[in-house]
Amino acid sequence: MLVSLSIYWHLPLMLLVISLVYSATRHDAWDDILVEAFRWGIRMFGFMVLVAIVLFAVAYLM
Amino acid sequence: MSSAPNVTPQEPSSLAAVLSYLIPGLGQIYQGRYGKGVLFMVSLLGMFLLGQAMGKWQNVYVPDARNQPGGRGNLISGLMIRWHYGGQFWIGIAAWPALWQHYGMTVPEKDTNPFWHNFQKTPEESEVNNFLRISDKTPDLGWVYTVIAGMLNLLVIYDAYVGPLPIPPVWRGAKESFPAKTEVTKEAAV
Repeated sequence: MLVSLSIYWHLPLMLLVISLVYSATRHDAWDDILVEAFRWGIRMFGFMVLVAIVLFAVAYLM
Repeated sequence: MSSAPNVTPQEPSSLAAVLSYLIPGLGQIYQGRYGKGVLFMVSLLGMFLLGQAMGKWQNVYVPDARNQPGGRGNLISGLMIRWHYGGQFWIGIAAWPALWQHYGMTVPEKDTNPFWHNFQKTPEESEVNNFLRISDKTPDLGWVYTVIAGMLNLLVIYDAYVGPLPIPPVWRGAKESFPAKTEVTKEAAV
């Protein structure tokens, strides 16, 4: 079961939804919405990876 | 990549803004922007409901501050104890049962309908503590999702009122943000 794999299974879903909704409030054309959503998705994913790396490093060094 | 703004100016519509507050996306549907309206409705209400379910339907409520030191029974005192509802409120009607419960209005009997009896009601402290003790991080993520859904709906309300938020030119890339720079330089050279 997906739910039992990780408590964070919903994070990719939330990333997708938040990117799409935010982008749809900045544009009216679907092409623009999708491009902007992709950009924000990449940015948020990058930020989350960065935080994960920092936390992993802190846990490793402690 | 499309970076130029592609936004049709629209007349301010208070009715659409109010509709989008009540139910996310309803204002856009009223304006004939069906795709965006359905996207907002499904996404934000889905996120709000998922967040509530992750918190065992116990994370959207206005606390009763009467039992707290210096607290009163009013809404502001409740929000001072737990600010989350300040963000959740903006999702619209979906968060109104918390106000209904806060002001002690009629709810279904506990024996006949326990879910709706307790829906968005301030939970017992011992009950919350027991739930959090046996849970992982899921309930914490749950209330975050409900607040994000409410905050995002503020942007949706703005979109319904006057259309998409303009993107500052500097965000669209340096090439487009300073188109006049070369002209100025040429003029200066002449």
